[in-house]
Amino acid sequence: MQTFRWLVQTLVTLGTNSYLLFPFGSVIYQGPLKAVCHPGLNCYSCPAALLSCPVGAVQNFVASLRFSAPGSWPHLGTMVIGYLGFIGTLVGRLPCGWFCPFGFIQDLLFKIRSPKFALWAPLRWVKYGVLVILVLLLPLLLIDRYGLGQPWFCKLLCPSGTLLGAIPLILVKPDLWQTLGFYFWNKITILAILLVTAVFISRPFCRVLCPLGAFYGLFSRMTLVHLEYIPGNCVQCQACVRVCPTGVKPYEDAHSPECIMCLRCLDACAFHALDFGLRQYMGDRPGSKPVNS
Amino acid sequence: MPKRAIWLIILFTLLFLLGVNTGDLEFLNNLGNTICLSCIGVG
Repeated sequence: MQTFRWLVQTLVTLGTNSYLLFPFGSVIYQGPLKAVCHPGLNCYSCPAALLSCPVGAVQNFVASLRFSAPGSWPHLGTMVIGYLGFIGTLVGRLPCGWFCPFGFIQDLLFKIRSPKFALWAPLRWVKYGVLVILVLLLPLLLIDRYGLGQPWFCKLLCPSGTLLGAIPLILVKPDLWQTLGFYFWNKITILAILLVTAVFISRPFCRVLCPLGAFYGLFSRMTLVHLEYIPGNCVQCQACVRVCPTGVKPYEDAHSPECIMCLRCLDACAFHALDFGLRQYMGDRPGSKPVNS
Repeated sequence: MPKRAIWLIILFTLLFLLGVNTGDLEFLNNLGNTICLSCIGVG
């Protein structure tokens, strides 16, 4: 399963960033696919990106809510909210484990041989603050004289945008160097810290700071596709806990908002105490852990 | 509970369709076709 997951992650990362003509023409892809949001975190200012970023899209919709030309109707962004909510309700944080390019990069870094450390559990709540404050409130409240806000998560924090967007952009357009200031160097510092941390701690950005993961995680307890714990088969060997990249204990909470559905626990369990599939309409199978309502 | 999930899927599908029919698609297309320099902290 993990080999298949690596393949999917590789294909999605390369496939959704496959506009290779950018050095020869327009700096970014400007075709119709830009109207489609990537299910993971992928900056649409990346010169090679084919799709838009869902978090960037939400911020821009929110930022434009109080800006309106006379007689025009504000765009509420329900298309993106519906899209993200649909994915979240269907599969929860599965895009984090299978489709997100920056999650994939962190997985690769964690494979570097080094001492490994656990993450202090309360830090997982920070990403909900990032979602509410940087993605929703600041773009709505900090507006210019025309009523237009800015995408503060992109400007202040997003390491995916820095790595996949900012760095390639300034390499392709050297005249952008003169515009670099505090915000850019702040983000470079954050990116460097996260990339180094990802060698020692699994998926630090996903667990602590990612607003998209926070949003998808809101649906974890009601997804149509889910991880199922079968307590009758479990011998508490902890094999699932040892392999989990986000610190979940499936025998305690198989529907945790931290679970990115990478299914490493499924592979690790030798006693068939874990299963993955459609949530049964009439409830879980006999002997399995009751679904949280 | 699967019923709640199904109702949510219906709700989010309706929100998606509402957005498509109120110009969100054009807004997103324009957004994606414009170089956003927020990734380097400009603009």
